[in-house]
Amino acid sequence: MAPYIFRRILTALLLLVVMSFVTFMLMRLTPGNFLDTLRLDPQISKDTLAYYGKLYQLDKPAWQQYLYWLAGLARGELGYSFYYNVPVVKILASRLGNTFILSLAAFLLTWAVAIPLGIWAALHRGGLRDRMIQFTAYAVLSLPGFFVAMVLLWGASVTGWLPLGGMESPGSADLPWFARAGDMLRHLVIPVTALSLGSIALLQKIMRGNMLEVLGRQYIFAARARGLPENRVIYGHALRNAINPMITLLGYEFSALLSGAALMEIVTSWPGLGSLMLTAVRSKDIYLVMASMMMGGVLFVAGNLLADIALAKADPRIRIR
Amino acid sequence: MFKSTTGPALLCSFILLFLSFSAAAAQAPRYGGTLVLAVTSDPKSFNPILAKETSTTAMTGHMFEGLTTMDPFTLKVIPNLAESWGADKDGLVWTFHLRHGLHWSDGEPFTAGDVAFTFNDLIFNDDVPNSARDIFTIEGKPVRVEVVDDTTVRFILPGRFAPFLRSLGQEILPRHVLAQAVHDKKFAFTWGIDARPADIIGTGPYMLVDYQPGRRVVFRANPYYWKTAPGGGRLPYIAKIEYTIVPGMDVELLKFLEGSIDAYTMRGMDYPLLKPREAAKGFTVYDLGPDLGTSFITFNQNPGQDPVSGRPYVLPYKRAWFTDIRFRRAVAHAVDKKRIIEIVKNGLGYPQISPESPAAGFFYCGDVMTYTYDLDAARALLGEMGFADKDGDGILEDGAGRKLEFNMYTNADNTERADIAAIIRSDLERAGMKVNLQLVEFNTLVAKLTSTCDWDAVVLGLTGGVDPHFGQNVWRSSGQLHMWDPRQKTPATAWEKRVDDIFTAAVQEFDEDKRKVLYDEYQKIVAEELPVIYTALGARLTAVRDRFGNLKPSPFGGVFHNLEEIYIK
Repeated sequence: MAPYIFRRILTALLLLVVMSFVTFMLMRLTPGNFLDTLRLDPQISKDTLAYYGKLYQLDKPAWQQYLYWLAGLARGELGYSFYYNVPVVKILASRLGNTFILSLAAFLLTWAVAIPLGIWAALHRGGLRDRMIQFTAYAVLSLPGFFVAMVLLWGASVTGWLPLGGMESPGSADLPWFARAGDMLRHLVIPVTALSLGSIALLQKIMRGNMLEVLGRQYIFAARARGLPENRVIYGHALRNAINPMITLLGYEFSALLSGAALMEIVTSWPGLGSLMLTAVRSKDIYLVMASMMMGGVLFVAGNLLADIALAKADPRIRIR
Repeated sequence: MFKSTTGPALLCSFILLFLSFSAAAAQAPRYGGTLVLAVTSDPKSFNPILAKETSTTAMTGHMFEGLTTMDPFTLKVIPNLAESWGADKDGLVWTFHLRHGLHWSDGEPFTAGDVAFTFNDLIFNDDVPNSARDIFTIEGKPVRVEVVDDTTVRFILPGRFAPFLRSLGQEILPRHVLAQAVHDKKFAFTWGIDARPADIIGTGPYMLVDYQPGRRVVFRANPYYWKTAPGGGRLPYIAKIEYTIVPGMDVELLKFLEGSIDAYTMRGMDYPLLKPREAAKGFTVYDLGPDLGTSFITFNQNPGQDPVSGRPYVLPYKRAWFTDIRFRRAVAHAVDKKRIIEIVKNGLGYPQISPESPAAGFFYCGDVMTYTYDLDAARALLGEMGFADKDGDGILEDGAGRKLEFNMYTNADNTERADIAAIIRSDLERAGMKVNLQLVEFNTLVAKLTSTCDWDAVVLGLTGGVDPHFGQNVWRSSGQLHMWDPRQKTPATAWEKRVDDIFTAAVQEFDEDKRKVLYDEYQKIVAEELPVIYTALGARLTAVRDRFGNLKPSPFGGVFHNLEEIYIK
């Protein structure tokens, strides 16, 4: 196992360097740079612009800049944000928590609903209730998440039942912690619903399929023939085997935890990494873009690796060398 | 009988009592409460010297003040931290007398040393990049500041500089807090968005208490604020300001309708939605007059060529059209400003005729050459240049048979500007031109204007100010933003030379009336020569919830310019 993990980490590092290089060059290939907004301000002289250009090393060729950045990364420095004039780590840290809250809530809701729903649908296979669930699932799967969010936001603006995006109500900072938590929960409803609906529909289908497959196996037949109680047959034998493939999925979902919600954050004005990254790309704040790209990349690679390891641990048939 | 008389009498006395209470409430402003506003982007810093854009200055504006300020109605310079001043006869040495007994928000006294420190050690510190330095660098040399005594400070100018008093709205920063950071060469990273709110010390009516990125910025009243109410009571009245950070104007609008924020700066397109709801939702729409910015189309007259490829920036025959005043006047006649206002600004706008906005007040000159919407006049001018539609396809050809066709760029992210460009295109096509409108990224457009210079026509807008001097980067022939032919070594035309001279003369003229004569002349020249052809200015509309007292909206300062005097009813 250890050599395998070591090899995987080496490949991952290489992958990350390639990814950062491509991102950096793409950012530099697009026209303009961070100073363009300042260039159109009649009050700013060309000396000041040249000074800024030097300060941010925008006068150097792209490959040199990239090497500077890479060298900084090796020392553990992610650079300064042009836009905010503070180390990018500080900006990312403040947003990371927000994204994590949103993604985790959506993640928990998805799994808590999809797994039981899938099992339940499998047990009632072919019945009216199963068919209704499957029909709804298809309908939900055909709707893009951001569209669901927009419809929900529209509903909220008409009825006034839920807040219109954001993470908290004005003035909530002065409330006691439980009222603050309640306020945040209300703000979570729309983005979490929009994020989870599609995943629930998909996951429950997979779970249902797995369960049906296992239920058709001989050993289930044998267990029933031996007169085991139905509950033990289903939850003791069938479920344990049916849930196995879901562990892989869990790992992949984990890796998407920080990057998957970007679009939803922008639509529902959740102050997370996604919206930060959008402004950073637009304003050509290159080190901020690089840092958030790298973070997403590291999480993705790590998530995949963890998923593979978890699968090897859970399923004795799989051996990693 | 007995009952029937006392009943109404009692009722009357109750009503009287009630009326007198509400009258008293209207007279005595109340302390406390929270003003809730929205901003569409995070502040980038809390350091006013390093501030580069409005989402930052909107925040620092609550916390810091300058020696002078501008009267929001007359736009004249009025005392602020300084109570009086005088200059020597050449206008090169200025002495300012500061108000007595002023304090910073941490209780330390405010002195002349802070003023000298702000200029000598912050603005003119080589380690600190800032744009204030551009303003106070006169004829290439810095302004120097000397402390005379605790409340007197002397400014020594290297040359005459008429906008000096107005420029002293420059925020003053505390020496006792920042001297160490300057000594350690860390000022460029001081008071950034990662600063502890309590460390940010100013003299303004409010101080920062909380900033959560992407969520909120919260200010609390500064207990040491120096301004007092007419009766001598302390100011400001409103105890807290909370900014909610929203991702865009649409969300802000919805939040305003929902009732969770107190004011909303409207776009023209919001008017039909908001105006009918005023009474029902309890807010008022204030029309503050035209915008300070500009909106125009300009043609590339650059005679230069690309240093690498050797190709001319503009094809020579097109440049011959664009440099012909008859062509630009034809365009001015062909652009229907009324239609732009009707369609883009929802009827709430003003045709722009001069490079200065009417919102600039004193220096605006409305008596310039104007061009009515008149397609016949446009065609006649083009005909005079030798243009005619020889093949009958609706597009004019010049004497050599080349089609009157050019590329027009604008930035795609500004939807209003893109709409204006589309209208201009259809107007020009009616006059017989073929316009290829291209919407590009903002950064691409800036690169075209300032470095690659490969464009025919551009539709753009620039920010404006009160003093025309600060537009010199646009109007001087050597300017970076002299878009149609930037960075000229010597003025290419007689009128550009005259405008250069006007800007040189006006900056040395202290008599405001004489300055106005000079700046009027420049506005007239621009309207005649049309290096840029102006379109329309939007109206500045703000919707404010009806719960504030002492609200005195001004065209220049907006709705909350006197925030310290405003109270919540």
